[in-house]
Amino acid sequence: MSARNRELFGLLPASLLIVAGFGAVFLQERTQLNNLSLTYGAIFLGLCFAAHLIIRARLPDADPYLLPIIAVLASIGLVMIYRLNETLARDQAQWFVIGLVAFAATIILLRDYRLLERYRYLIAAASIALLLLPRVPGIGQQANGAYLSISLGPVSFQPAEFAKIGIIIFLASYLRDTRALLVSRKRYGITLPRLKHIGPLLLVWGLAMLMLVFIRDLGSSLMFFGGFLAMLYVATDRLIFPVVGFGLFGVGAWFFATTVGHVGDRISAWQHPFDPRLYEQIGGSYQIAQSLFAQADGGLWGQGFGQALISVGDSPILPAAQTDLIYAVIVNELGLIGSIALLLVYVLLIERGFRVAVLARDSFSKLLATGLTTVVALQVFVIVGGVTKVIPLTGVTLPFVSYGGSSIVANFVILALLLLISDRARREARR
Amino acid sequence: MLQPTAIVLQGAFLLVLFLFVAWVVRSTMRDLSRPDEQRVAGSPPADATGIHSAVTAGAAPSGVGDPRLVVERAPGHTPGMEYEIAGGAVLGRGEQAEIRLDDPYASSAHARLVLQGGRVVLEDLGSTNGTFLNEETVNGPQPLHQGDRVRIGDSEFLFVDS
Repeated sequence: MSARNRELFGLLPASLLIVAGFGAVFLQERTQLNNLSLTYGAIFLGLCFAAHLIIRARLPDADPYLLPIIAVLASIGLVMIYRLNETLARDQAQWFVIGLVAFAATIILLRDYRLLERYRYLIAAASIALLLLPRVPGIGQQANGAYLSISLGPVSFQPAEFAKIGIIIFLASYLRDTRALLVSRKRYGITLPRLKHIGPLLLVWGLAMLMLVFIRDLGSSLMFFGGFLAMLYVATDRLIFPVVGFGLFGVGAWFFATTVGHVGDRISAWQHPFDPRLYEQIGGSYQIAQSLFAQADGGLWGQGFGQALISVGDSPILPAAQTDLIYAVIVNELGLIGSIALLLVYVLLIERGFRVAVLARDSFSKLLATGLTTVVALQVFVIVGGVTKVIPLTGVTLPFVSYGGSSIVANFVILALLLLISDRARREARR
Repeated sequence: MLQPTAIVLQGAFLLVLFLFVAWVVRSTMRDLSRPDEQRVAGSPPADATGIHSAVTAGAAPSGVGDPRLVVERAPGHTPGMEYEIAGGAVLGRGEQAEIRLDDPYASSAHARLVLQGGRVVLEDLGSTNGTFLNEETVNGPQPLHQGDRVRIGDSEFLFVDS
């Protein structure tokens, strides 16, 4: 079977998931759901097929499993969102249309993605500006103490989702050039790069810390910095860099946790979610505690589609169920079995991403694929870890599953970049 | 209250998910044991994602048969054109260069290819804009391997050796 036919075959599970999931939810909540709402699933499947045709036309050698994996993730997400609220499912299906446009545009405009290297400083500057945008008065918005989104008229989006791609591109390009220099000087038996070469890297650390202060979000700064350390490790093959890096990050995080009130609140809510005082407090541990209750309630096999208690009247039982807590809803309704399947699909996605990096021939492609994959992996870790009380809960989306426009569009751009790298790598490998 | 059909559909949902995971895992395992991918990926690279072996791997002498430089894209050259380089060659913009580059980014004597111990070695001759081997700056002599890309400015060549 050729790669593209394999990919087409791989879209079959996604369509079965949509049919079974929408069918089950519809049967369960027939009284409240509109017949028309069943078409949202069909729209989504049409989009998957369109994406397949774009890849078939432009990237014939690309990895055949990436798109099916993404389609399966997005199907799970769409079914859960449909179950939560049919209007949100319609919006999400529309966001998929915009995501697909961004996907197609990336593939067609960036035929040679190495062009990006030429604009690396521009890309870096734009990304940093995007990150700081939510703090600009007038357009910035604060949610739960973190500054993550901006609103321009009717549209509101989270610039950090796009900034992460830009920063990865910049780092891949920068490390491509300097990686040899970073390991070339040895002093006292350890690798000790010159300040000139390590400077920009310290700048990235500073940026991560700045994000902690300005955006007040531990999760996204962990995501950026972790992605950066992974790329640094791949570029230099020296374990010392990530070890020192995580140490620095830990020191910085500890410092801000003790001095910035908002970060400290998150930490204490994480440590003692069932403390009655924190549980009652606004912005306290209510969300994380409810998330833990919902997951415990799911058990091994789950309560079944439509069974999770999302809200009683107007007061939410699971706040932000469609974004931050979607994983808790999945565990509640599909149980441990369902959540293991979901996490396995993420593991496969990450495996394919790193495989693209291994197959790529030049360093820029390798680093770019590594960085993009790591950022997605860390994003899953940050939100699933937050919801399951492994790390403090922060509001990032579960990639391809959570409701959210910026996240969908940005993740489709990441998918397009991975496919572009993979197409080039596999074509060169065949020769 | 759960509808019986809904429970069946939910079971089907989970079954499809796990079958999908099994399918991808199985195909991945097969990919790993296929020889043509292995040649590229190598047995598990000793360093993360094989970034270092990308340039230095295949250190075994590549059994020089008929080393050539194939034009991928270069101003003033037709793509697909081949240069014999068994006797070594200088690439540059100048008159005395064996491979003339009509490229504004090229120095007059930009880089050279020499045969050393049965291998073709690429060396930058202190050019202004640098020579790139597989998109990495060439510092010092670099042995070439089948399929390597040599780029100078907007000119790109493919090294073939059989």
